[in-house]
Amino acid sequence: MAAPLTLLVIVAVTIRAVLFRSSLAELISERVEVVSPLNSWKRVVEGLALLDLGVSPYSGDVFHETPLTIYLYHFVIDYAEIVCMIADGITAVALYLAVQVYNKNVFRKQKYALEADRYPHDCLELMQTPKELFYVPLKVAMFYLLSPFTILSCVAKSTCGINNAIVALFVLCTIKGSALLSAIFLALATYQSIYPITLFAPALIYLLQRLYIPVNLRRQSFWLFTLQYAFMFVGSLVVIVGLSFFLLGSWDYIPSVYGFILSVPDLTPNIGLFWYFFAEMFEHFRLFFICVFQINVFFYTIPLSIKLKDHPVFLMFMQIAIISIFKSYPTVGDIALYMAFLPVWSHLYRFLRNIFMVSCVLLACSALFPVLWHLWIYAGSANSNFYYAITLLFNVGQVLLVSDYFYAYLRREHHLSHGLYLKKKDGSEATLVLK
Amino acid sequence: MPNIIAVVCASYGLAQSVCDGEDLPARAERFFRSDHTNNWAVLVCTSRFWFNYRHVANTLSVYRSVKRLGIPDSHIVLMLADDMACNHRNPKPATVFSHKNMELNVYGDDVEVDYRGYEVTVENFLRVLTGRLPPSTPRSKRLLSDDHSNILIYLTGHGGNGFLKFQDSEEISNVELADAFEQMWQKRRYNELLFIIDTCQGASMYERFYSPNLMALASSQVGEDSLSHQPDLAIGVHLMDRYTFYLLEFLEDIHPASQANMNDLFKVCPKSQCVSTPGHRTDLFQRDPGSVLITDFFGSVRKVEITMETINLTVPGIPLERFGGEPHTETALAYVDQLPVAQIIHQKPKQKDWHPPDGFILGLWTLILLVFFRTYGIKHLKHIF
Repeated sequence: MAAPLTLLVIVAVTIRAVLFRSSLAELISERVEVVSPLNSWKRVVEGLALLDLGVSPYSGDVFHETPLTIYLYHFVIDYAEIVCMIADGITAVALYLAVQVYNKNVFRKQKYALEADRYPHDCLELMQTPKELFYVPLKVAMFYLLSPFTILSCVAKSTCGINNAIVALFVLCTIKGSALLSAIFLALATYQSIYPITLFAPALIYLLQRLYIPVNLRRQSFWLFTLQYAFMFVGSLVVIVGLSFFLLGSWDYIPSVYGFILSVPDLTPNIGLFWYFFAEMFEHFRLFFICVFQINVFFYTIPLSIKLKDHPVFLMFMQIAIISIFKSYPTVGDIALYMAFLPVWSHLYRFLRNIFMVSCVLLACSALFPVLWHLWIYAGSANSNFYYAITLLFNVGQVLLVSDYFYAYLRREHHLSHGLYLKKKDGSEATLVLK
Repeated sequence: MPNIIAVVCASYGLAQSVCDGEDLPARAERFFRSDHTNNWAVLVCTSRFWFNYRHVANTLSVYRSVKRLGIPDSHIVLMLADDMACNHRNPKPATVFSHKNMELNVYGDDVEVDYRGYEVTVENFLRVLTGRLPPSTPRSKRLLSDDHSNILIYLTGHGGNGFLKFQDSEEISNVELADAFEQMWQKRRYNELLFIIDTCQGASMYERFYSPNLMALASSQVGEDSLSHQPDLAIGVHLMDRYTFYLLEFLEDIHPASQANMNDLFKVCPKSQCVSTPGHRTDLFQRDPGSVLITDFFGSVRKVEITMETINLTVPGIPLERFGGEPHTETALAYVDQLPVAQIIHQKPKQKDWHPPDGFILGLWTLILLVFFRTYGIKHLKHIF
């Protein structure tokens, strides 16, 4: 599979290079859907220029990148385009390898279950064939590299590409089973933006599963491994934070980066949910609503992990999706990351109920974003409500997509244990509903 | 030139103790009744629009009189808020008449307007009075008076109790005006000042004066309106205000050698002619108004007295001292280096790029290597070293 992957990478690099040289690059790097105050390249250049002038880059509200990325960009600032393309390449290759390993595991488990005759006999059509499993990693890489969201994000030189690369490497290391590397990459991802800390749960569950430690709160082996993993994670996080202190010699990156992410002071419109509410909020209630909105990201981890404790990779997908939808400054680059996973669940297609409507909604909203922005800001005939409506609808579409896949996954699992043709007690046909 | 003669006579009169006669100091004293050496006039019309034609005509008639009596254009600051002569509603373009039937064209062809149109603002007026103008202001727009200047200030327009309206959009209050005059006094910008105002309730504008050597006249008291004189049916507007009309008539009889004094000026336009009661204020003025000539303010009279007697001009001066009788070789004078040229053409220092601290780089790469060897085994180490 190396040749098709290489071809794919070349095609993707060509598309990005062409777009970089065209006049669209300027236009795209200004779009609020593609760049946010957290990952705009313009701000990175500004921050590094401030650093060259001897001023802390965190003074003033311009620069919100972490010190380790300052170190990285310090070397590559003249080669931003190449670095963005390399980051996309790394993400794609990491996802490719991760999904390959995952599919191997899935296939192996399926084979053992079939040999042990654990599935009802009418479920044979639900089995995943090696043929379709063979092409899934390539499809994942293709979904990521050729997705318009990723291309836009790369052409805008948004640092979202690098964040995505770190998360993809984390996924790769977790699926390969290396606890130390997984903890380190998770710590890096958490250090970049706080939200990946919720990926601790699926990674832990996956590693426990891999080591055949049952996820049982009363067992000592569970706690032992959990503590080990947590210690590695927290330790590497502490080391990274300490190292960042030594880069600039001060702690003022913490309010600038984490304070910024958590307290959402910048209300520039983006494709997220925060800006409109907080533009209208009375100061009195602001803290309350910030807590409410931020908890939304972390809230689904525990219930989902309880429900999906046997399927940690799907949990990881759902958690990444929830982070992309509910984070404080989402951009299309975050969406591209979880959408890259969709080919992995392509066997669920027959159980998806709303896929047509959801895809129409997502396509239409993506097309309407620039239109309504233009109408609001330039033509003056619309106002922020229009743009926020599209944002809201887009996020609703995303949530519907994720919940649809959740339903489909659970339904397939149910069928695998209870048979494909469900019958009620009196023998008539039954169907499954997600309550 | 006349100033030099005046100065010389002054030095003669004051410094020379050897007198040629007692009448000469007395004559000198009489000669210097008013110790002003130059005259200035600030003539302001504050109204715009065609129907305020009469205010421009008022100002131009005072301008004409003042110029005729000798004050040159360089010493007159004329501020007209609108252009009546070239107004497209003027049936007789390039003219401004003060008498009906076009008897007197006060516009003429040698009118020099210093502040015109929208430049006539309260701020500019106060800046002219106090002298606080930006350095780029030309001399024609400045009141370059000194402590021996007699200044005539004439204001006309629409006013009320305590204010005067400028351009139909802003006002100057009597307090501001009084403070401006106080600034002028503190900066020694006038010797004596005559303030004439022809607006409704004009007397309210001089109520607040508190600086010395100010004399003020107004066309009406508080609560009274100043009325306009006569319309011209061909032009279609009122041409003059009553007070200034009669003031112009009065001034037409004044010539540079005239001995008419301020008491005559106070009698201009009694109630029978003006309908309003003109007022005046002299309590701040040092001299008796009866001894103040009209030409002290309205004219620029050269003080020349011809004498047939010879005057010894050797003034005892300071002898030039020389050390040892020979001149110094003075060191060649040179300007202090004002402009540090060497520093200016010095190139900008090259911007130092920021480098991460060494400890950080060391720590980071050590960690990375540690993690690498931990995951992939220590056996790779031997391939490195």
